[in-house]
Amino acid sequence: MALLDVRDLRVSFDTDDGTVYAVQGMSFTVEAGKTLGIVGESGSGKSVCTQAIMGLTPGAKVSGQALLDGVDLLAMDEHELEGIRGSKVSLIFQDPLTSLHPLYRVGHQIAEVMQAHGKMKRDQAEARAVELLHLVGIPQPERRVRDYPHQFSGGMRQRVMIAMALALAPALIIADEPTTALDVTVQAQILELLGRMQSDFQTAVILITHDLGVVADVADDIVIMYGGRPMERADVEAAFIEPHHPYTQGLLQSIPSYSGRSGRLRPIKGYPPSLMRQIDECPFAGRCPHVQDACRVAPPPLKPVGTRPGHVSACVLPSDRVGHSFDGADDPVAAGSSRR
Amino acid sequence: MTGSDLFEGVSDAEDLLQVEDVVKHFPVRGGAVRDRATGQVRAVDGVSFSLKVGETLGLVGESGCGKSTLARLVTALHPVTSGHIQFKGKEITTLSRRQMRPLRRSVQMVFQDPYGSLNPRRRVGSILTDPFSVHGSLSRGEAKRQVQELMARVGLSPEHYNRFPSEFSGGQRQRIGIARALALRPDLIVCDEPVSALDVSIQAQIINLLEDLQDEFMLTYIFIAHDLSVVRHVSDRIAVMYLGKLVETGPVEEIYSRSRHPYSASLLSAVPVAEKAFRSVRKQRVILTGDVPSPVRPPSGCRFHPRCPKAQAICAEEEPVLEQKQGDGPGHLTACHFPVTAGEALALASREDPSSPDAAPSLSQGAPQ
Amino acid sequence: MSLIGADVRIEVAEEHNPDRKGGADREFVGRTPWQLAWARLRRDRVAMVSLGFIVFLMLVAIFAPLLTALIGHGPNTQYSTTGLSPSGIPVAPGHNGFLLGTDDQGRDVLSRIIYGARISLEVGVGATALALGVGLVVGLLAGYYGGWIDALLARFMDILLSFPILLFALAIIARFGPSLDLVLIVIAMFSWPYIGRLVRGQVISLREREFVEAARALGSSDLRIMFVEIAPNLIALAVIYATLLIPVNIVTEATLSFLGLGVLPPTASWGNMIAEAQTGDLFTVAWWFLVFPCVALVLTTLAFNLLGDGLRDALDPRHGRSNIIPPTKQQRVLAKLRKRTAREAAREAERANA
Repeated sequence: MALLDVRDLRVSFDTDDGTVYAVQGMSFTVEAGKTLGIVGESGSGKSVCTQAIMGLTPGAKVSGQALLDGVDLLAMDEHELEGIRGSKVSLIFQDPLTSLHPLYRVGHQIAEVMQAHGKMKRDQAEARAVELLHLVGIPQPERRVRDYPHQFSGGMRQRVMIAMALALAPALIIADEPTTALDVTVQAQILELLGRMQSDFQTAVILITHDLGVVADVADDIVIMYGGRPMERADVEAAFIEPHHPYTQGLLQSIPSYSGRSGRLRPIKGYPPSLMRQIDECPFAGRCPHVQDACRVAPPPLKPVGTRPGHVSACVLPSDRVGHSFDGADDPVAAGSSRR
Repeated sequence: MTGSDLFEGVSDAEDLLQVEDVVKHFPVRGGAVRDRATGQVRAVDGVSFSLKVGETLGLVGESGCGKSTLARLVTALHPVTSGHIQFKGKEITTLSRRQMRPLRRSVQMVFQDPYGSLNPRRRVGSILTDPFSVHGSLSRGEAKRQVQELMARVGLSPEHYNRFPSEFSGGQRQRIGIARALALRPDLIVCDEPVSALDVSIQAQIINLLEDLQDEFMLTYIFIAHDLSVVRHVSDRIAVMYLGKLVETGPVEEIYSRSRHPYSASLLSAVPVAEKAFRSVRKQRVILTGDVPSPVRPPSGCRFHPRCPKAQAICAEEEPVLEQKQGDGPGHLTACHFPVTAGEALALASREDPSSPDAAPSLSQGAPQ
Repeated sequence: MSLIGADVRIEVAEEHNPDRKGGADREFVGRTPWQLAWARLRRDRVAMVSLGFIVFLMLVAIFAPLLTALIGHGPNTQYSTTGLSPSGIPVAPGHNGFLLGTDDQGRDVLSRIIYGARISLEVGVGATALALGVGLVVGLLAGYYGGWIDALLARFMDILLSFPILLFALAIIARFGPSLDLVLIVIAMFSWPYIGRLVRGQVISLREREFVEAARALGSSDLRIMFVEIAPNLIALAVIYATLLIPVNIVTEATLSFLGLGVLPPTASWGNMIAEAQTGDLFTVAWWFLVFPCVALVLTTLAFNLLGDGLRDALDPRHGRSNIIPPTKQQRVLAKLRKRTAREAAREAERANA
């Protein structure tokens, strides 16, 4: 059984300017010990998904199911959720500067996680905090445990966040853009750390990002979101080598090729849809070069495609039509003639 | 049709821009009673390079390396602390503010933040008319016509002339910024992370636009970015900066396939890649330890030595010179005492290796230097 | 300790708000920032009521002569026969055609209040306008140039702010004699630093913004940057704090008049009306000619303050609250509504059956 099974998640917010339907039917599963990458651009709803599941969206209307080991998180009240946060499921956010309390020492904050769940006494917890800092690669942990967040650099702060997240050996870590604010070399360190922690502790990880490169590196499975819905779900090899959904193909194609200078980039024309209404067609219909009438009748359901198990795509195109490039021109995005 | 009589055209063979030993220090203010300088942020600490007409120079480096400061020195937004910058053969570091004015027609900048670089309280038409009003006089009608033409050229609807920046999306605002830089047909445009704040699918649109404009208007670019895939795509040459100094420069393909400086190598290997062809090769990662040191007190000798897997005693004492190393093509310069050799596998901290991350990364001894 | 989750709602709402940084990239036909601000202000009932009151007050002040002609009583005329009882007690409100009664000299309180509004608004708004003008210029110069100019101007503003205005006013007016213009100038002289300091702070942060850098990159002169780039971003601040300064200045005028340093009787100012009313103990029986000018002053001050708050929320929505209506509250309201309509439907059904 999957560790986390999310079914038909819908989240909407009432604002002064109208209702925002941030998530319009998201489903995915996370297996124990594996990493799921949720990929989407801004406005796709990727962060809201996991925040809603963890009950971090007060004031929002949330429907659907989120089964953690068979128990529905969405049916829990705040008290029960507090018991889960930090101990069974931990969260890591993009900007550790705002996630860490600036006025408390780092060791205290890590210890507090353990004490809050009643698992340990104060001095035990603080000793464990030093251990955790060492585990995540902070040099001189006995000294640094008494430092304040602002005395750490960005990469170090993120390591502290990871230490906090690991404190109670959670079954699942949700990392929301953990490296977006970091330099590339520091990003590499943090991803490598996360990977090591995952294999050492068999923790499942949900990694939310807009960076396809990061998920290619780190994730086992990927779900690509657009307009509040999932467009394609697959293991990472399938998603990159045999993408089915035109949006996935378009994304892959618009990234400058790392392996060589290709010709002109081929971006996706147009703009993402507004989420101020429930979209009752394929959200990508407006920009898709293969759009048909069927696409506008209702959002296409996820159907199995391609050759690998578990590969599904929310698209009406034939299931065996994988790996093609976005605009139908079948030349792959490889080193082509140079621009000049 | 660019610039004034102070800056006339330069032939292809000459350098458009020559930067020589440029230094920029910012004082760190402190002191309890009097606001005196307690130290210097050595943002740019001796950088030299040159730029030919029509080239795109990619400038890469991480936060604190000084690339943004260097951009502002070239566009004369900050005065240099020392050094020389010559644009079209004319020295610009000694110009007075008034004398600098005509230079502004020839050197322009596209900023990183599409939300901050446009005045939220001014209409777009007014913002885009600025270059024309500051540098000469056009009638209202003529100015409007030129602005609308400019807007169309960068892919905006000319009817949106009277809109405020907040009514545009991020990608569109960046187009406005590009239009503003382009208005007076400059020779050189410095792009400071022009696509970093944009979504992936919009990035591609803007990159294409910049390339098209370069072809059409014969522009020269200095392109600053931290996304190495983007830099590789647009640049002809690359310069890698670290803590205020250039560590490696050269033609883009050479740097990407045969980088000689350990920092460049680790930077390039640290980039996560989405490319399927690339993924099938299990790439070894060079994971650096620690973070970038502060530019207020840079390390002695080679600034990279505390993090360098190849560092030896001399690296802490003597700063290496940026020069061509044995076996490299001309134009490929490296500042290193022990450049990476072909076939050498630098420090590895691969995922299978359970060694503690703060041990010094080991070096598998390849061919001696 | 947990700072997470608190503002997720705001973030989601603002992600879809085109004003916000990081907002999703989409083809957007939006409203101008002024239209958005006005829409936000319109939703604020308290602010709209206050605005209505202020507009009403201004109309009253402008049409004062017409209004008093309609009422039939001048502001300074002493109606000794109709306005005072045979024993000299002022007439109560509603009697003899005096809607708000008369004062100890038989003058119509309502007419005097109408003319008092004129004074209050003239001095209050006038002094504020002057203070705004000076404050904007000084703040711009000090904030933009920094260095010794700023040091000089900022210290000067600090000195003025710590001055005991009443003592100074006393001295000036003792020297030059009381007059409305002098009062206006004195009030402006001591209130401009309030605006000046706020503007200076705002300019200091604005001058670091990228669009200012971009203007410099184009070769704009300092003057152009100050007035074309920075100044438009000061409008919001100016409007808000001017609105909040007006009641302060109105009260200062009232205070000066109360002390006999401002508008002198028989000209009516709310301040001197109060002063006159509370000398002696006639007000213990004829409360109206003390209370009504007080009420007028309080309501006016309140209206401007509430409007100022509303403007601040409308022009700078990040300043405080979230824009989200929690569904629980909505649900409660909806539930009540449903219950009520269900009850009415049931009653209708009963009536139909009967």
